[in-house]
Amino acid sequence: MADYYSSFEPKGTRWLLQRLTAAFLVVVLAFHFMLLHFVNHAAEVTFMQTNLRMSQPGYFLTMVAFLVTATFHGVNGVYNALVNQGLDGTPKTVVKYGLILASVLLVAQGIRVAMAMAGFIIGPAA
Amino acid sequence: MSTQVTEQETETEEQSSHQRRRLEEKAERAASRDRMRERAENDLDEADTTFTLKVFRYDPEIPEKEEPRFDTFEVPFTKGMTVLDSLMYARDHYDSSLTFRHSCRQAVCGSDALFVNGTQHLGCKTQVVDLGDDGGVPGEIRVEPLPHQEVVKDLVVDMEHFYDQMEAVEPYFDADELPDGMEEQRQTRENREKIKMSTRCIWCGACMSSCNVAAGNNEYLGPAAINKAYKFAMDEREGENRKQERLEIIEQEHGVWRCQTQFSCTEVCPKDIPLTEHIQELKREAVKNNLKFW
Amino acid sequence: MSQSYDRGLVEDFGRWREFSAGMWAWVFHKFTGWVLVGYLFTHIAVLSTATISAEAYTQTIVGLESLLVIRFLEVGLLAVAVFHILNGLRLLFVDLGVGLEAQDKSFYASLALTGAIVVASVPTFLAGAV
Repeated sequence: MADYYSSFEPKGTRWLLQRLTAAFLVVVLAFHFMLLHFVNHAAEVTFMQTNLRMSQPGYFLTMVAFLVTATFHGVNGVYNALVNQGLDGTPKTVVKYGLILASVLLVAQGIRVAMAMAGFIIGPAA
Repeated sequence: MSTQVTEQETETEEQSSHQRRRLEEKAERAASRDRMRERAENDLDEADTTFTLKVFRYDPEIPEKEEPRFDTFEVPFTKGMTVLDSLMYARDHYDSSLTFRHSCRQAVCGSDALFVNGTQHLGCKTQVVDLGDDGGVPGEIRVEPLPHQEVVKDLVVDMEHFYDQMEAVEPYFDADELPDGMEEQRQTRENREKIKMSTRCIWCGACMSSCNVAAGNNEYLGPAAINKAYKFAMDEREGENRKQERLEIIEQEHGVWRCQTQFSCTEVCPKDIPLTEHIQELKREAVKNNLKFW
Repeated sequence: MSQSYDRGLVEDFGRWREFSAGMWAWVFHKFTGWVLVGYLFTHIAVLSTATISAEAYTQTIVGLESLLVIRFLEVGLLAVAVFHILNGLRLLFVDLGVGLEAQDKSFYASLALTGAIVVASVPTFLAGAV
């Protein structure tokens, strides 16, 4: 096993990032839940209110950061769970690139949605 | 001619005396087995308490034993009896084919790590009374081979994978930077205290068998191997270069990062080594080490 | 060496009664993690109605929120998220090397706290649909 040196693995970087994103997400996820279920009630959400919130630059940026960190944390978590389960060889490489693709698509779509909510409409006009 | 005849006669005589001897020995063994069984019955009658020992049996070389099963043995309890004692009693009195590893009987050789009542224990270190409720003798003790490893026969598991992982961290002292002159290599008391617990490993394999990640992922080094690396990496007598090399081994993808802090290894270690703590320290060490180069 | 017998994954879910605290924590953290990732993708999908039109967005959300089953699913989501956060905090402390002696107690504490928070939040979550 000592002979297997992977040049692609930036030693422990993903481990550290998982913890750093975790710390950030603890705060932001709790805030998100509080805001959208206790301060406002989910059942009473309208586009107007969403638009109002997303038009504030600070909130907008926080939400985008939330999206990116949550995507990384979640997809990295899934990848690790699979590797721990014994995923290796070709299936592992396939899954890795599949997950990377899924993350990129999710973040891209999420940013599109955020823009639409904030009133910058990109793509099909409202 | 006559010599031939005599030789022939002597041959047949020798043969039959060989045969006779063999048959006698066989009869003697059978008689001794019966005697042991009688003794066991006596012991059972005389003993205040007895308990049932349920043991996993498997033997690929005997057709009747190819399907694993549990054998039950009634064992008389004696004060201070350990699980290993009871297994030896069963082997000596009931079934001499019962196979298990054991050697020192004092928790230093690491041979008899077993799966007793659903948890890893060293057979020689586990008192029978500790397995019952409130310090009494349990009604039944279930003994199985260590989990997540292939069974060779009865309670004997294949330890080759475990040894491979241990060897992979190069668990030997290699001070490439010796002190000047003919001085001894000194180690401070504090440093010794720090690595003291990690030196206690007896290579029993209980920790690795308790780790769910080691079970799923064949390449994971495992708690014992990483603890070994800790013992050397944290030893101040080892040079900086060697320590870097060691860190490089354990900070690969299937090294320390696979540990999910399940803590099972720490719980089952018969030498009370805080394995998870050591692995965590190495993770932090690796992170700090890599941050320096950016 | 003769053929050895592979017993499969002993000490796995068939023996759940013998699990230790640390093992339960690992199992639950994984399970809640998968649920949350699944939810993340679904959530973005639902919110994508905002790119269609304001009405589509509002209608979808109001429509979903009027279904009682959705309210219950939201309570479930809260439980899952709260546990993942609290156990995650526990794991962050373990990674920093703090409080390792109490790791099993801290797991039970996060379970208890999750239960308490969820129970306390049920009225707010079900308001308007019950």
